[in-house]
Amino acid sequence: MNPAELALYPFERPATLTELCRTLSARAGRKERTVLLAGGTDWIVERGLAPPEDPNDLPLVLDVSRLPELRGIQVARERAVIGAAATFLEIRSHPVLLRRAPVLTAMAREVGAIQIQARGTLGGNLATASPAADGAAALMALDAEVVLASVHGERRVSLTQFFTGYRATRRAEDEVIVRVEFLLPRTGAHQAWRKVGTRAAQAISKVALAAIAERERGRGVRAGFGMASVAPVTAPLPTVRALALAPSLASVSDEELDAATRRDIAPIDDVRSTAAYRAHVASALVKAFFRELREAPGL
Amino acid sequence: MRIAFVLNGRKRTLDAPPLARLLDLLRGPLGLTGTKEGCGEGECGSCTVLLDGVPVNACLVAAGQCDGRTVLTVEGLGVKDGLSDLQDAFVKEGGAQCGICTPGFLMAAHALLTANPQPGEGEIRESIAGNICRCTGYQRIVESIRHAVKERASRESG
Amino acid sequence: MALVGRSVPRADGRAKVAGTARYVDDLTRPGVLFGGTLRSPMARGRLHGIRRDPAFDWAGVTVVTAEDVPVNVVALIEEDQPVLASDEVRHAHEPIALVAAEDPVRLARALRALTPEIEPLPPVLTVADALARKAQIHGPDNVFATYRISKGDAAGAIASSPIRLKGRYRTPHQEQLYIEPQGMLAFWDAGGAHLVGSLQCPFYVHKGVKRTFSLDDDHVDVTQAVTGGGFGGKEEYPTLLALHALLLAKKSGRPVKMIYGRQEDIEATTKRHPCEVTIESGCDREGNLSAVSIRILMDGGAYVTLTPVVLSRAALHAAGAYRWEHAAIEAVAVATNTPPNGAFRGFGAPQTIWAIERHMDRIARELSADPLELREKNLLRVGDTTPTGQFLKESVGVQRCVEEARKASGWDKKRAALGAGAPARPVSALPRRTAPGGSAPRKARGIGASVFLHGAGFTGSGERRLKGCVAIDMLRGSSGKKPIFRIRTASTDIGQGTETVFRQIAAEALWVSMDRVEFATPSTSVVPDSGPTVASRTVMIVGSIVERAARDLFARTEHERQKRGGSFDDAALRLLAGKESVVSEKTYETPEDLVWDDEKYRGDAYPVFAWGCDIAEVEVDLDTFETTVLGFWSVADVGKAIHPLLCKGQIEGGTLQAIGWALNEKLVVKDGRILNARMANYIVPTSLDAPRFTTVLVEDPYSRGPGGGAKGIGELPMDGGAPAIAAAIEHATGIVRDDLPLLPEDLFAARRTAM
Repeated sequence: MNPAELALYPFERPATLTELCRTLSARAGRKERTVLLAGGTDWIVERGLAPPEDPNDLPLVLDVSRLPELRGIQVARERAVIGAAATFLEIRSHPVLLRRAPVLTAMAREVGAIQIQARGTLGGNLATASPAADGAAALMALDAEVVLASVHGERRVSLTQFFTGYRATRRAEDEVIVRVEFLLPRTGAHQAWRKVGTRAAQAISKVALAAIAERERGRGVRAGFGMASVAPVTAPLPTVRALALAPSLASVSDEELDAATRRDIAPIDDVRSTAAYRAHVASALVKAFFRELREAPGL
Repeated sequence: MRIAFVLNGRKRTLDAPPLARLLDLLRGPLGLTGTKEGCGEGECGSCTVLLDGVPVNACLVAAGQCDGRTVLTVEGLGVKDGLSDLQDAFVKEGGAQCGICTPGFLMAAHALLTANPQPGEGEIRESIAGNICRCTGYQRIVESIRHAVKERASRESG
Repeated sequence: MALVGRSVPRADGRAKVAGTARYVDDLTRPGVLFGGTLRSPMARGRLHGIRRDPAFDWAGVTVVTAEDVPVNVVALIEEDQPVLASDEVRHAHEPIALVAAEDPVRLARALRALTPEIEPLPPVLTVADALARKAQIHGPDNVFATYRISKGDAAGAIASSPIRLKGRYRTPHQEQLYIEPQGMLAFWDAGGAHLVGSLQCPFYVHKGVKRTFSLDDDHVDVTQAVTGGGFGGKEEYPTLLALHALLLAKKSGRPVKMIYGRQEDIEATTKRHPCEVTIESGCDREGNLSAVSIRILMDGGAYVTLTPVVLSRAALHAAGAYRWEHAAIEAVAVATNTPPNGAFRGFGAPQTIWAIERHMDRIARELSADPLELREKNLLRVGDTTPTGQFLKESVGVQRCVEEARKASGWDKKRAALGAGAPARPVSALPRRTAPGGSAPRKARGIGASVFLHGAGFTGSGERRLKGCVAIDMLRGSSGKKPIFRIRTASTDIGQGTETVFRQIAAEALWVSMDRVEFATPSTSVVPDSGPTVASRTVMIVGSIVERAARDLFARTEHERQKRGGSFDDAALRLLAGKESVVSEKTYETPEDLVWDDEKYRGDAYPVFAWGCDIAEVEVDLDTFETTVLGFWSVADVGKAIHPLLCKGQIEGGTLQAIGWALNEKLVVKDGRILNARMANYIVPTSLDAPRFTTVLVEDPYSRGPGGGAKGIGELPMDGGAPAIAAAIEHATGIVRDDLPLLPEDLFAARRTAM
């Protein structure tokens, strides 16, 4: 459709979460379609590419970008709570996240460029559920939980369970993502973000790896992975994760890591890259992370 | 929808479809054609304006989301008696060739220098990485920004 | 005065940084309608009609089809391309109908309410299928043009050479990706047809409009708006867009503005021609070249556009910057059912320079020679002849380019220290590329070089036929005391700085300050036809006419001053007495010693060549095959830099387009359709992808160049970037690529052969 047609969509700005949930509930009950708009970096772009909608049956667009309940980043008692409308710019500028969850900081710094970071939100990144979503990969490595709200209250879904298929999630029509939460990795935990994109900036991931490992006296106590653009949904790499928790990293061979990575991903050819290249890079990034782990002091 | 915001330092109120793009509002009813459209999907940065001081792509901002906020465009960059030092540096150092991307670069650079008056080359390059230029190879743009940084530094120390 | 050689502030800079420069989309007219295009969804088919949705409210909507076009041809080199397809569609995205409506929403809906009825025909999608005549789509053999160049006995000399090498080198499409999409504003009045648009060549559009609407010169006015980049993409294409806008304006009786969206622009407008070059060479064991045989195959797309001229330039640059005693070059361009290819900076030369430079590296590999030394040993010098038999009389600064580039880049040391065989060392990666807490990634560095030339101006007898013309008016000026001067030329400023450089040249020749020289907006009813803004001809050819016209006015005024005294200004005012203006109009005078035979393709192909040497230093990630360009050195012999800063800006910008062609850009075409027509997936370099450039200007003056010897350099920097990058990657990794692009996926796929 032509971007000029955006002007036709009905738009409202609910003042509170309660009001938003009521509207969502009522509309879902009437089978009316609703779009939750935050930064617009996906939805507005997609309008330009999507087939046009029936002008007499347009969805209602609800602006959630300034709802107080969706805003802000808090860190307390070793838990990080990030509002769904927190932007990538807010995330990359947050000093505690930089210290304790640098995987998130590094990821946010490589989303698009400053203009996209200023608008794009973590909640939007999860709701769009693109397999190329960098935010989803980093949060998956952090074992984040998604908190959804509706008139029935809140419910929590582990991010590994959140995505149900290509661009599909467990969010119901009457729900909104309000925040994500995760347990901060310990100080000194090994964290890595590596994005292999179409160029050095303003890029979409061909493959991106987020990884976290905590080890104690040589034993793995926490590990998490998230990989973008190698499967219909963000890949949690469960087999690789099991290897990261192995009693001895020295015994994990490159061949095992290759096999594990292959098991955990299902890359395809598309306009950005090839399945063969993605598979190779996925393996290479996993092996590089394990190499770093083995070399890291105190792990 | 009635939208009230501060545009280039002046309070403005107008009626507009809330999901009209800020870009179309600026270029249309507001008559500010300095903000350019290069791709319409947030890739080229030609429509960069500052929303509450932060660079955004005006092609991806809904008019309704600007209510109660401040917007700065290239038309608001100049000083009373002419060009700002940054604009002047782009003229002197070859930062503008065809010029269509220039307003966007100026806005991104202005935001950088406001937040960080002494950026290094790496920070300069990162701050304009969301703006595509097909003419210059970026070097003259980076030099223009560095020139403005140096001028400011020497003014302050002098 | 010494204006020439000084980097004065660019004349249009102020308006561009203030946001007040008016591009076509910033202009409007009362009652303007918005125009759009209905395009073919398939590569080839028989067009039976266009169905209009009866449920749609067509009130106020104007629809134009082929029946509405008075003379349905786009007048370029040939007249094979229709303004709108009538019976057959020959490429995907081909225009079929036009629509104008009150606003963009109505326009979008009206376009959707039209359905072309097309019966598919088997398309010819590859050069091989075209040559095999899988279907007959152009003339008897699908061939647009063929050229042959011959010097000595290439086949015989190769056969008797101790070292014979053969290679095949391919280059793909490239999209110009000017940041301002194509756009045109059209209206009619009693005076005829009026156009204001984003364009390089007002008189190309003028010619096309005259032909299609059967108008005479005086009833067509084409004006250039401030233009947001062209790079060749706004050379011939705007003619088609202008015709479309005028057709809608004529039928609706209203002004019509057509501005392409980015996707439409990438899908529908011309690209760089894909090309395949086969080279066979002979040399001795010391690397002294003797003979080369080259075959060039180019994909022209569905219509001729400028293909023959592109092909000709490809052939004329194919032997590179080297001395060959024997050379045989054959070039063929064919038709396919893909969007027409056309002008893009370099115009055929980047394709063949890629090939010859990769071939030079192949020879160096075979001989275990230093690639730069091998090149130096064989460089053309004054007194040598090119494959067309052109005797190089002067301004061959290539040796100095190589020397300067070698020195500036630290070639000797780096060539020895880096490379696939060099010991691994810790490297400092870009901060953004480093994983938090990451250990040193596996990376390899290398350095590579290219040497190249580019002929400025039209090929052969082109300038002689064209007779480019420039006028300078002497006017009284607003004060009435200080006369001013106005340059009238059809050479447009599309960002490269024409206005600034022409004003410098004229002011210097007139001995006045630059603020007394104006530059008239290029409009066909105001300026004479200086020829198109193409082929690196603006400064060197048209600039030299500007200089002559300015000198003429100066001489006439000076004559008056000497006769009757007073100052220069007094004398000028006396000449102006009773007149509105005193005009000097000059036409290009082709140097008499330039001889060209179009039949045999022999003689002086260009008045002079610009020369260059590029050196690239890269780092390749051995896990991901991403290439980072760590440094890039460009040394160019420009004859004389009239404005060194603009000149360097041209070189850096052109070089980054070449680097993008190598490392980022890839047009994905399937069944004749372009699949990645977005800036999100047609990837060009950002500021973080671009290297820091070191640009050195060498000045070996051309005796007929303006300002003391300037040569054309607009296209030169497009020629050397890609092969230098490929050579550096080869040095770093051992991966040899003879085809562009060099995306990580391509290096990954090629790695097994090397590592």
